[in-house]
Amino acid sequence: MNLKATIGMETHVELDTKSKMFCSCEVVETDEPNISVCPTCLGLPGALPVPNKTAIQYIVMLSLGANCKITNEGMFHRKNYFYPDLPKNYQISQFDFPVGVNGSLEIVLDEELHSVEIERVHMEEDTGKSVHMGSGRIDSATSTLLDFNRSGVPLVEVVTKPVISTSKMAVAYIEELRQLVIDLGISKGKLEKGNLRFDANISVANEDSNELGTKVEIKNMNSLKSLEKAIDYEIMRQSKQIKKGESVIQETRHWDENKQVTISMRTKEGSADYRYFSDPDLPNMIIDEEFINNSKKNIQNLPTDKRKTLKESGLSLSDSNYLDKGDKWLYDLYLSTVENTKDSKSTFNFLTGELQGQMRKAEIDELPDWVDSEKISNLINLFETNEVSFTSAKDILAKLLGEDIDPKTYATDNNLIQSSDDEEIKTLVTSVIKENQDIVERLEDPEDKLVGFLVGQVMKSSVNKVNPGSVKDILLKELFG
Amino acid sequence: MSENFNIDDISNLASIELSEEEKAKLQKDLQIILEHVDALKNIDVKDEKIDIHPLSKVLELRKDESKESLKHEDAMMNSPETKDGHFVVPPSIE
Amino acid sequence: MAEKIPSISKINELFQNKEMKPSELFEQVYETASYTESVLHAHLELFYDEGLKLSKESDKRYKKNESLGLLDGIPIAIKDNINIYGYKTTCSSKMLSNYVSPYDATVVTSLKKAGTIFTGKTNLDEFAMGSSTENSAYGPTKNPWNPDFVPGGSSGGSAAVVSAGSAVASLGSDTGGSIRQPASFCGVVGFKPTYGTVSRYGLIAFASSLDQIGPITNTVDDTRIIFNEIQGYDSKDATSITPVYTKLENKKIKVGILKELMQEGVSNESQNEVNKVVNQLREKGHDVTEISLPLTEMALSVYYLIAPAECSANLSRFDGVRYGIREDASTSYEMMNKTRSVGFGEEVKKRILLGTYALSAGYFDEYYGRALKVRSKIITDFKTAFDKVDFILSPTTPTPAFGFGEKTKNPLEMYLSDLCTIPANLAGLPAISIPTGLSENNLPLSVQIMGKPCSDYSLIDFAESIEEMVEFNSSPNLLKENSES
Repeated sequence: MNLKATIGMETHVELDTKSKMFCSCEVVETDEPNISVCPTCLGLPGALPVPNKTAIQYIVMLSLGANCKITNEGMFHRKNYFYPDLPKNYQISQFDFPVGVNGSLEIVLDEELHSVEIERVHMEEDTGKSVHMGSGRIDSATSTLLDFNRSGVPLVEVVTKPVISTSKMAVAYIEELRQLVIDLGISKGKLEKGNLRFDANISVANEDSNELGTKVEIKNMNSLKSLEKAIDYEIMRQSKQIKKGESVIQETRHWDENKQVTISMRTKEGSADYRYFSDPDLPNMIIDEEFINNSKKNIQNLPTDKRKTLKESGLSLSDSNYLDKGDKWLYDLYLSTVENTKDSKSTFNFLTGELQGQMRKAEIDELPDWVDSEKISNLINLFETNEVSFTSAKDILAKLLGEDIDPKTYATDNNLIQSSDDEEIKTLVTSVIKENQDIVERLEDPEDKLVGFLVGQVMKSSVNKVNPGSVKDILLKELFG
Repeated sequence: MSENFNIDDISNLASIELSEEEKAKLQKDLQIILEHVDALKNIDVKDEKIDIHPLSKVLELRKDESKESLKHEDAMMNSPETKDGHFVVPPSIE
Repeated sequence: MAEKIPSISKINELFQNKEMKPSELFEQVYETASYTESVLHAHLELFYDEGLKLSKESDKRYKKNESLGLLDGIPIAIKDNINIYGYKTTCSSKMLSNYVSPYDATVVTSLKKAGTIFTGKTNLDEFAMGSSTENSAYGPTKNPWNPDFVPGGSSGGSAAVVSAGSAVASLGSDTGGSIRQPASFCGVVGFKPTYGTVSRYGLIAFASSLDQIGPITNTVDDTRIIFNEIQGYDSKDATSITPVYTKLENKKIKVGILKELMQEGVSNESQNEVNKVVNQLREKGHDVTEISLPLTEMALSVYYLIAPAECSANLSRFDGVRYGIREDASTSYEMMNKTRSVGFGEEVKKRILLGTYALSAGYFDEYYGRALKVRSKIITDFKTAFDKVDFILSPTTPTPAFGFGEKTKNPLEMYLSDLCTIPANLAGLPAISIPTGLSENNLPLSVQIMGKPCSDYSLIDFAESIEEMVEFNSSPNLLKENSES
């Protein structure tokens, strides 16, 4: 029996607005509790919600970015459930009329394009934060501390159709979505800060079956790594059960990061009944053409656009996908550099390998302002034309990250320019052959390892300024004709 | 009124603990009200659209500006229990 | 020494002419309160110290001829479901027995700016759910006309204080008749404005799509003055509108008598008041016709699904977590369950449960969804009716005030006392109740006039002309007895 997994993702994205979704409290990042709260986001009696225009605009932008159809007349719903960090004990959300429906996101897996269908994009408000006090174990808390600074921060929920088949695909989808919200400028998109939080709905069924298996919801995955592992674990767990002939229970499970397993969350008897109904505090919302067009104005250079440009520069799909997910400056630097070098692969390798590697090592987040595409392309050209060795190029880059130098001048001043003058090399070769007669006699063919030794001797006598390629050519010619 | 009406389920959803005595009284009263409102079933509402505002007002959105919030002391002044600037409740995990 | 309080315009004249000081008037209403309260229990809290202080500041403004307007120095009582910064707002519930508001309702801000002095907070049915003020966790309010009878509700305290003279006017809130019905029972004027004209920000919500704040006053002109101060768009309330008030073009006014509110279920006494007014209107040359809106018979059923549904969510926030009372328990959930069990009274629990049921999976379409749609139809029916008539006239209540305990056995009997007032809430219409006469047992009777949306000022003008016509000048026994003594 061959089994297949089907995964649907539900992702909450925290929007980067100045004020909260339904009140004018500032959205703050602070450890000081309950300092950005008001009657509305504390759920005080008599307080009322008034929606944030920018937040709605951001949700429209994300819907457009995810190729959704926009719902022109929408409304807000109350989702009712009791939880201490939910101040009104209902969350204002959207039910029947989400802002965006029926969209898709293009993602890249290895060298292939895939489309992930999006079911809906809708508004939500965040809850407060609970800190459980006690012996340190989550299940033995003695009290819960509540901070409502986060209460009412605007969220958008993006729900895919059950169209994802592997953990890698789920990760690629989240990476694409994350880049989309960053490029739209609607969220900081930091996973470690919880700007993106995702749940996965996973089911496993017979490969030939047209029906999905029993859905299990996995929560509490805080990184892409845990998302990948949790999905793999859950697919394995469900597959084992099915193969043993047992049935999978529909439930919500928690990813336990320490134990690297999913754990069933105890649920109250009777499934949740959220009693969604239209919020009488909020009249119907009209999203007209003008609003949509204004939102469109703020949309440019999304990951798919960037990917197209990168591919046109000559990069492979996976290299393009790598760069469109990176920092904006790296993407820009690549494009302006490759215009000079005309060599996409070597530019990509140098920037993503050497430049990013050295910056990471030196713990530099931003490129120093004197480092521009002209200097970088000059440097790439220096080693591509064999004027300096790759080793020297790396040294020059290190220097360049520390101070404002011109790569070519620096190479010249520090004797890093390689000689390709055949006559000079021939003289050096002749003298090395003469000094190493014993070795020359032992040489059997051009592939002999000792050739390398002799090349090394020539390089040594030249204080590394000659091009090793040329040395080898001339040496072989002298020895084997 | 539906025979599925279960006062325990409803009080659970509403998060209100009820004594047996209360249950009996409320069950009886709710029965009377639900029988009365059953009259609505005879009205044809097929094509009726739902509007949240009785005067069909369209929602106006607020400019994204942050304004002064409550003073921390005012936010906390009604809190039944406080610790280090937090509201404190019995554990919310079971 | 109780005397009938003059109208606000008259008081303002006295202030301007230095014939009376705001602090003197404040002392007078406070003195009245000091002997009426022991009988009536209309105020839950009196703000004597701050009231006196503020009225003395008002004295100074009048002295310097720098008064803030007609309401400067006028003592007004506030229903205890409207937030005033630094004071308790209990909603007459045990749940909020210790709750002090950290902010002002928008109407409170408006009245403060106008120089109004607050006498205190008035009693109501818990969370405004009821029609007799018997559901207050702090004990009922009595009717100033006869303490054996209820003052109506839920704004029973606000109606009683105006009737008894312990405030010049008051604010109430009206979800299904909670201003008009007690105003009628207490023989004063009660006005529910067009939905959205008065901000709900700071009014503790019962049913958000129906709630409106409005004045309870001695005269229609007082209503006009207070409404003028509290109305207007508020950016803190998304349901608030920017009203464009309609004016009456013709001198000859077309009045519709709503057939469905002049039949079985409404007492002859109540119907007679309408007939009395109709005759006088016809004498004045106005055009009075009978109209029929059959769906108004469904109004009560629609209301008793929509209001509980909205309230079931609105009252979820009372959980013992951030404010209010808290019952001890070992988990949060248990704490919330117990707190809500102890904090809410029976009627509130009943409505929360009813609303929870109406919204629950499987019953939504049958109950709440259907009620919303019937409401839409009712709104359309009223729209059509107002193409033909300028105003609709009806009794305010099916009967005059009833006795304590008379309608507490069967919930429907109590609910039926809002029969005539509920339709205006469902359709968002402005509606005013004005006293027109006394019943056989000497209790006030009123008529209600409903207008089309945003006809508030012309409705008030029309009500004023009826007020002049009927010349209702009686005052409660309580005042007479005390003034004779």
